[in-house]
Amino acid sequence: MNDQVRKRWLLALVASGVCIATLVAATGQAVPAATGPAHAQTTAMAADPGEKIFAANCARCHTPPMTLNPRVTGTILMHMRTRARLSRKDEKLLLQYLAP
Amino acid sequence: MTTQSANRQIWKRKLRLIDRCTLRKTIGLLVLPSCILLGSTVGRAQDDLRAHTTAGYVPVISGAFAYIQNTSGGVQSLVPQIVPVLLAPMGHSLLLESRVEFTGFFQRENLPSEPFSGRFAGKVYKTVDYAQLDWLADSHATIVAGRFILPFGLYSERLAPVWIRNLQDTPFTYSIGTNPYGAADGFMLRGIAASLPSASIQYSAFMSAHSSTNELQAIRAVGGDTSFYVPSKRVEAGLSYQRTLEGYQINNEAAYFSWQPQRASVDLKAEYDRNHYGDGYWIEAAHIPQQFPVAPDFFRHVQLVGRMEQFFVRNGGGNGLARVNEQRPEVGLNFQIRDDWRLESSYGRLFSHNGNSNTWNFGFTYRFIWPLWPGRKS
Ligand code: HEC
Repeated sequence: MNDQVRKRWLLALVASGVCIATLVAATGQAVPAATGPAHAQTTAMAADPGEKIFAANCARCHTPPMTLNPRVTGTILMHMRTRARLSRKDEKLLLQYLAP
Repeated sequence: MTTQSANRQIWKRKLRLIDRCTLRKTIGLLVLPSCILLGSTVGRAQDDLRAHTTAGYVPVISGAFAYIQNTSGGVQSLVPQIVPVLLAPMGHSLLLESRVEFTGFFQRENLPSEPFSGRFAGKVYKTVDYAQLDWLADSHATIVAGRFILPFGLYSERLAPVWIRNLQDTPFTYSIGTNPYGAADGFMLRGIAASLPSASIQYSAFMSAHSSTNELQAIRAVGGDTSFYVPSKRVEAGLSYQRTLEGYQINNEAAYFSWQPQRASVDLKAEYDRNHYGDGYWIEAAHIPQQFPVAPDFFRHVQLVGRMEQFFVRNGGGNGLARVNEQRPEVGLNFQIRDDWRLESSYGRLFSHNGNSNTWNFGFTYRFIWPLWPGRKS
């Protein structure tokens, strides 16, 4: 690919970046995350420390589950602890939040 | 022997020596902290997590079913997939996890009169993605042994599962850092290197041995990954490095960024990858129009995706990468029917020195989580 084409694509990339930033800025109001356990509001202003950890970590890679069977919650969080690199304390607070 | 070939021999020996040194150092790096951690955790009373929660630890089969119909350059492929994940905890600190992928790949057969116009034919491929034992020793370290996905960049370890990826086409640079088998057979140490209330620094370091065992093939390699994460801003930026130590000994590098701004339901992810054979990037934005003025309950389930990617050949390319420069803008429209079911559709336009073409994908994914036995009721 010649330099001109490369430049054109980079320009397109910068332009789409600007569009996305504008979109983000335009949606001025805080929006709760789309998903989370049915009984929770996953905003950053969450009062429960476990809810806060859930909101900050569980939508980083994928849509977080709306509900989890308490029977499997411990197992799933062990699995996600290695992925999300959560501390033991975070895991404990999340367990209390997801399976009180 | 000519001076040139003598020099080459000397260099080869030096390189072999460096590799052995690197390997020894890496083993040292992994074994030393492991021993310290083993010492510090053995005998320490385990947190009684169950005292405060009803959470159970029964073995689980999770994973996904998917069916994707792909049309690239006018050629149709049917790709059904079943990907079970086994999770078997042993106490609260040991987890056995394994994922096997069964992927069917069916295309129309070539007829003498016209290519790709016969009946559908193909086969099912089986891959052991990982089969590993995790010892969740401490907040700062999880020790992993067995076969694990190479911790390289954002895509392979986190976004590749069929129910997670927003667009079904894998990025052009996917093979950088994962070629040829995508997984390592060896040891990995990962965890949080430093944790402040406002940010944390995460790391992983691994070494892989050569294996030619069927389904468990791997090459000798060392590498690592580090990233910092700011939870309040939901921003993560990281770097990955990997050196393959057999065949063509090359470096693979990646830099990545991820951001989920709280002010809008947008998920931004980007990755730049580079090795001897090429370099390239992808940048992806996904948006859920939660506050759509009309029918917000419907639009809450809709996901709009856009991705741009470019690949630039170096030294002839190949080795899992294209041999010509390529770029592809791609858009997707997904519909999350329920937490576990998702309808997928996407369109991409490939611009390549070998010719331009369209790529279409339609299909669905289903994610499941099944406890293997009843366990304790809440
Ligand atoms: C660093 C990325 C990452 C983060 C952060 C993350 N996950 Fe995951 N999660 C994954 C991946 C990747 C899988 C798929 C695992 C597989 O197929 O091997 C997964 C799978 C799951 C599954 C399906 C069952 C399973 O364990 O395979 C559930 C449920 C889940 N995650 C919940 C969570 C929760 C709750 C959190 C917050 C603590 C979380 N995830 C944070 C990457 C992540």
